[in-house]
Amino acid sequence: MKNAINKVLLLACGAVLSTAGAHAEYRQVNLTVFGMDCAPCAHAIHVSMKGIQGVNTVDVDLNTGLVTIKLVPGNNAAMRQFNQAVEKNGFTHKDATVVVRGTVTGTAAAPVFEVAGTGDRFALRPAGNAVDMAGLLGKPVTVTGVLPQAARGKVPDTLRYSAITEAP
Amino acid sequence: MRLLMVLVPAVACAIGLPATAWAADHGPVFGYATPVNSERELSLDTGIFGRYGSGGTEFATGSGFGYGLTPHLTVNVFVPAMFGNGSLAESRMIAGGEWNAGASWRFLHSVTSVGKRIESTASLGVVVPGPQRDSGILGTLHREPGVAGTIATGMASRSQYVWAGAGYTRFAEGSHDRRPSTFSWSGVYGYRPPKLRRGYDQWDYRGFAEFTGEHTGTVTAKGVDLPGSSITTLWLGPSVLAIFKDVAISGGMQAPILRHSSDVLYGREQIRFAVNFSYLKYSSHTSSH
Repeated sequence: MKNAINKVLLLACGAVLSTAGAHAEYRQVNLTVFGMDCAPCAHAIHVSMKGIQGVNTVDVDLNTGLVTIKLVPGNNAAMRQFNQAVEKNGFTHKDATVVVRGTVTGTAAAPVFEVAGTGDRFALRPAGNAVDMAGLLGKPVTVTGVLPQAARGKVPDTLRYSAITEAP
Repeated sequence: MRLLMVLVPAVACAIGLPATAWAADHGPVFGYATPVNSERELSLDTGIFGRYGSGGTEFATGSGFGYGLTPHLTVNVFVPAMFGNGSLAESRMIAGGEWNAGASWRFLHSVTSVGKRIESTASLGVVVPGPQRDSGILGTLHREPGVAGTIATGMASRSQYVWAGAGYTRFAEGSHDRRPSTFSWSGVYGYRPPKLRRGYDQWDYRGFAEFTGEHTGTVTAKGVDLPGSSITTLWLGPSVLAIFKDVAISGGMQAPILRHSSDVLYGREQIRFAVNFSYLKYSSHTSSH
């Protein structure tokens, strides 16, 4: 009985450590927002973004329309929430540059990037030089890339990556 | 008919139906503009509005509450209090003693680039007599509710603002009295100098030139249209808006540039001014995924 309990505890610890190591999450989102003309517009975006669980800091540049969001490790924030925060204030979101950790699935020819826990799933396309995906399939990776503008209420289905590195 | 005219505004208030586009937290203090609240944003406006002329002085203070049901639909109410004894003409461009409730719908919203958008907003509201009576000729009339509609269109950007708008208010007749219907219009130009196009954690200032006009129709008293009670005026003046995050302060004054009426009933109105304070409570609510 004692052995059985120890085995369960060991398995549980292993599962926790494995999950912590492979946690899929957005690390940073740089979102271009159109239509903000004044300080309250930026403040509204700031308040809305800060309301998303896992958001650490938000910076809004009114003159460039760039909203820079940094997130805490272990968050489960999804791209749809960032877009909603823009839409609810009456503005339009354009392309977003993201640094995100997840897993490469699919095939080497048609790789898919999954951010587990958020429900986000993107087809990976190279923005420049293509990376050989065969060695990355099933592995946790950190991707830097651009999510193109999507229609209101939608999340794009393609992530154009500029860099992919195997996550520790 | 009279019962209907009482019930309609009451029901409208209850369901948060309509209101006039009245001095808002993001825009000019006199003219019509297009901004509406964000979704779930609660705004509180409170201000003092004054009119001075040979017919006396009239002040109104009041508070307005707005709530964004969606990013483009805001419901609002305005509850004023008046003091002073001016015998002045009916005005819809500057707050009087009527309670307002209504909704503003931004039906056109075109976001063209960073910091710039083109939009149009329509508002519809009910105007209900408050507990205080007007002074002068309007104070002698039996008061009934009215309906007010406005429409505004324009462009907002980091450097410039341009808005044009118009409104119409019509009151019901009661006991053979009717307050005058009012047609109003406005044009606003705003400018933010390059040095003031700063970050959102600093005070945001902009200046406006506000042009407004009103045509107030004939007063009907005891079933008779009062001669000389119709008046047309054009007004022009500057205003300034200062905003820091969730608070805004605006103020402005206007002088008449054209006046078409006899002075018998209302005297000669010489100046209008308004000071408005706004608090904007933005919602941090976001849906979970």
